[in-house]
Amino acid sequence: MDALIEKLKTQIIEQLNLAEVKPADINPDAPLFGDGLGLDSIDALELIVLLEKHYGIKIQDPKDGKTIFQSVRTMAEYIKSQGKS
Amino acid sequence: MNKAYINGTGCISPQHTADDAWFFDRIVAPDTDFMQAIEPSYKEYISPNLLRRMGRAIKMGVASANMALQQAQLTAVDAIATGTGLGCFEDSERFLMAMLNNEEQFLTPTSFIQSTHNTVGSQIALILKCHDYNFTYVHRGFSFESALMDAMMWFSEGKETILIGGIEEHTPCYVELNRNAGKLKNPGNIPLWKQHTTGYQIGEGGAFFAVSQHKTIHSRSVIEGVNTLYKPETPGDIMKKMHAFLERHALALQDISLVLMGFSGHSLHDKKLQEILPDLCETNQVGHYKHLCGEYHTASAFATFAANRMIEKQEIPEIVKINHKPGEGVKHILIINQYLDINYSFILVGQC
Repeated sequence: MDALIEKLKTQIIEQLNLAEVKPADINPDAPLFGDGLGLDSIDALELIVLLEKHYGIKIQDPKDGKTIFQSVRTMAEYIKSQGKS
Repeated sequence: MNKAYINGTGCISPQHTADDAWFFDRIVAPDTDFMQAIEPSYKEYISPNLLRRMGRAIKMGVASANMALQQAQLTAVDAIATGTGLGCFEDSERFLMAMLNNEEQFLTPTSFIQSTHNTVGSQIALILKCHDYNFTYVHRGFSFESALMDAMMWFSEGKETILIGGIEEHTPCYVELNRNAGKLKNPGNIPLWKQHTTGYQIGEGGAFFAVSQHKTIHSRSVIEGVNTLYKPETPGDIMKKMHAFLERHALALQDISLVLMGFSGHSLHDKKLQEILPDLCETNQVGHYKHLCGEYHTASAFATFAANRMIEKQEIPEIVKINHKPGEGVKHILIINQYLDINYSFILVGQC
């Protein structure tokens, strides 16, 4: 799980062009939206594309996004639950 | 049309224009066929969270708009009018490349959202929370002039403060395509206005102006008029239209302190300007500016910025002069721009 979390952090930084942020700066349990990284709705769309592109996961129900994208850890857990890590 | 008083300016260009110093003292001469903009540290003007999504055109536009507003001490405007020939080219290219590389899968929203021509104007509006008039003109070599005309007409409708600007960015791919098409050439020792070969140095940049209908304590100069001329047939047509334009502003050629001409270095595009040059040199101090900024759709915005600086400082720098005519003060500057021998324009900037 830890390796997947680290990989996800790097992918998020790259996909969202967070030039000022280093993987170590991201707390895996901190919220991605609002506080924490302070992402917004456009970033949410970028994260959906990230899951599809790198892990072959398509989020069918947009309502699931709220739980999946709560933090880096919840994203990793979701990827694992889909057997795609 | 009403006059537009310039209360604040911001310019990012191939010269050191971003810091508002007298940039004519430290000119950067072109060394290739692409005159790239010297970009400032954007963190001073744009929040990091917004910055990460922006392409160069957006950064140049938003930062120069910010500089203009700061100078004019404004935090809000009544309208925003921008002009651009190619818009946010970098993001358009990025989106199209992603389509090709990923076989039309996994398309991300950011570059698509940021790729439209009006992204610069809309980003400024979002930052300023300006819900008022916002328009982007994509009229090739008339793009900046159209934004300027729009602002001057809005003054007649009662708006007081308007932000206007011209923005252009060029990507390595776009420059390469132009190079392969034989449109560009490397700089040489012959001044642009004397050249007999085709090709030009391509430039880029963003220039914004916080303008108002009435003179304020921040007013630096005034845009007295603007006029466009599409595909004039002869050099005589340009002269005729120029005299008519000046007459409309109760001026004659001898009232003009500097005629600032848009020679690009491309002998075919410059032919008409080269033909009217000897007559203008007989009567007036004449200068040029595209050796400082390169050729691009909104180069007239750079010329307007340069004219404003010269009027503010009451000095015509040697670097722009084509001839030497003694004169007192810098009261009116007439910019005669041309783009590809298609779009000609006159912009009259005066002391206020």
